[in-house]
Amino acid sequence: MSEISITKRVGSSLVGRAKHFFVQIGELSYFAGRFFREVFSPPFEFRELLRQCYQMGNRSLVLVGVTGFIIGLVMTLQTRPTLVQFGAVSWMPNMTGISIVREIGPVITALICAGRIASGIGAELGSMRVTEQIDAMEVSGTNPFKYLVVTRIVATTLMLPLLIVFGDLIALYGSAVVENLKGDVSFQLYFNTVFDALGFGDIIPATVKSFFFGFVIGLVGCFKGYYSKKGTAGVGIAANTAVVMASLLVFVVDFIAVFVSDIFYEL
Amino acid sequence: MAKTTLENLRLGIFVVIGTALLLLATYLIGNRQNMFGKTFDITADFKNVNGLQVGNNVRFSGIHVGTVSDIEIIDDTTIRVHMVIDDKMQEHIKKNAVAAIGSDGLVGSMLVNIVPGNGPSTTVRPGDALQSYSKVAAQDMMSTLSTTNENAAMLTADLLKITRSLNQGKGTLGRLLNDTTLANDFQETIGNLKLASTRINATMGELNQMVGQINFKESAGGVLLGDTLSGGKIKNIIENLETSSIAIEKITQNLNEVIDGIREGDGAINYLAKDTVLVNQLNKTMSNIEQGAERFNENMEALKHNFLTRGYFRKLEKQNKKENPKGDVD
Repeated sequence: MSEISITKRVGSSLVGRAKHFFVQIGELSYFAGRFFREVFSPPFEFRELLRQCYQMGNRSLVLVGVTGFIIGLVMTLQTRPTLVQFGAVSWMPNMTGISIVREIGPVITALICAGRIASGIGAELGSMRVTEQIDAMEVSGTNPFKYLVVTRIVATTLMLPLLIVFGDLIALYGSAVVENLKGDVSFQLYFNTVFDALGFGDIIPATVKSFFFGFVIGLVGCFKGYYSKKGTAGVGIAANTAVVMASLLVFVVDFIAVFVSDIFYEL
Repeated sequence: MAKTTLENLRLGIFVVIGTALLLLATYLIGNRQNMFGKTFDITADFKNVNGLQVGNNVRFSGIHVGTVSDIEIIDDTTIRVHMVIDDKMQEHIKKNAVAAIGSDGLVGSMLVNIVPGNGPSTTVRPGDALQSYSKVAAQDMMSTLSTTNENAAMLTADLLKITRSLNQGKGTLGRLLNDTTLANDFQETIGNLKLASTRINATMGELNQMVGQINFKESAGGVLLGDTLSGGKIKNIIENLETSSIAIEKITQNLNEVIDGIREGDGAINYLAKDTVLVNQLNKTMSNIEQGAERFNENMEALKHNFLTRGYFRKLEKQNKKENPKGDVD
């Protein structure tokens, strides 16, 4: 009798979770659809967009730069002994260049931004929802979705590719520093070799997917914050789930992007 | 308001720099693939392109000059590679240049190497087809290596046989390696040779000393070696000797004929030479004559002491003494 009840409970829990998951996907899709409807219709909140761009772009630059530099440096330090064993240390710029530009730079920067921006948006919009500021905006005749959500999603979509460019460059610089100190490779030779190895098949898919990363981070952050539950706990949950979901979706988008670019560029 | 302007300024700088970096990276990559700037196209036909791809580099004497723009298959044995070359390089690439497919390092990506041809030629023009040279592909190398390996295996098998027979002491070499008696003999021989060489060395030293002591100027050898006049004389002597030898030969022939005549003829000499009875008789006669001569000497001695003839012999002695006062007796 008890076994049946446990099975029932587990079954109902799984069903509940699956139901919740699909509801979330549905709501997110509806939210994205609403974004696309609102983004091209006036009025356009340029001032708020610029403010959000500054908050998300400029304010994240130091974090992305430091992370990128350390990633480039550490990756080169860790990979170097193996390449030395194979006598292929001269291939270090090619390897680090391709791996940073194609994959590591965009994904690491996106994850950093998912942690910083998605949580920030989730907490900010969640607290606005909790304090009924959003409701007040609706009452006052201002479209809160256009002012709060569209500007933020557009800002993340536009800023993340630029942050990734900075992050890639700083990561390559970090790698070049190690090569310069340990392998007597000049900066000029390092970057010449990197750009020799890179092709449009590396840089275009990486840039295109970085727009999607930005869009996903902004979308999830806004979605979680905009629909956060009442109460102070709801703000925390909104920020937390925004980070988790944004990070997960970054990897999902990355998988799809690699899959699609493989078809177009035969990587 | 001032804060917003500052934020916008910072944002503007951020966006401009970020976009510029992205464009710069795109330009650098495009420039490497000769997408910007003036270029011209050339082609080369190959039998096998060994995995060459569109976008691979083209090098002229090791310098990056362009990229592979297209690869098309003409027929089952011809693959045409189209290359985009930097316009600045046109004056350096001649029509007799040769294109070959290589790789960037041992494990690097494939590339087209253009090597200058021998002798003078005109510069290449857009659309020209270069001569091509197909290097040995990795597969061909592997097949060659496979043949070499088979040969090496056969050689090692033969070597194994040889070393086995050597170890077992078969054959001359085997005996040389394994036979201790032979080794001892050989050692002894070597010792003897060493001794002999020491002696020869000493002899040579002595000979050298002797040769050093010879006065070449005054000796016959010196004259023979150095005097041209004597040389002429010697030559004459040799010629005379030659003439004499011819004469001697003739004489010998004549003598032979005489001897043959004696042998075959019925003369007294032949009789004397061949008749043994006569020899015995002659021996007897000779012994009789000897006895007769002895007796005659006795008689003559008796005559010296005889009173009738004694005076005559004394007279002869005196006369002899007068002719030879020193007492020499004939």
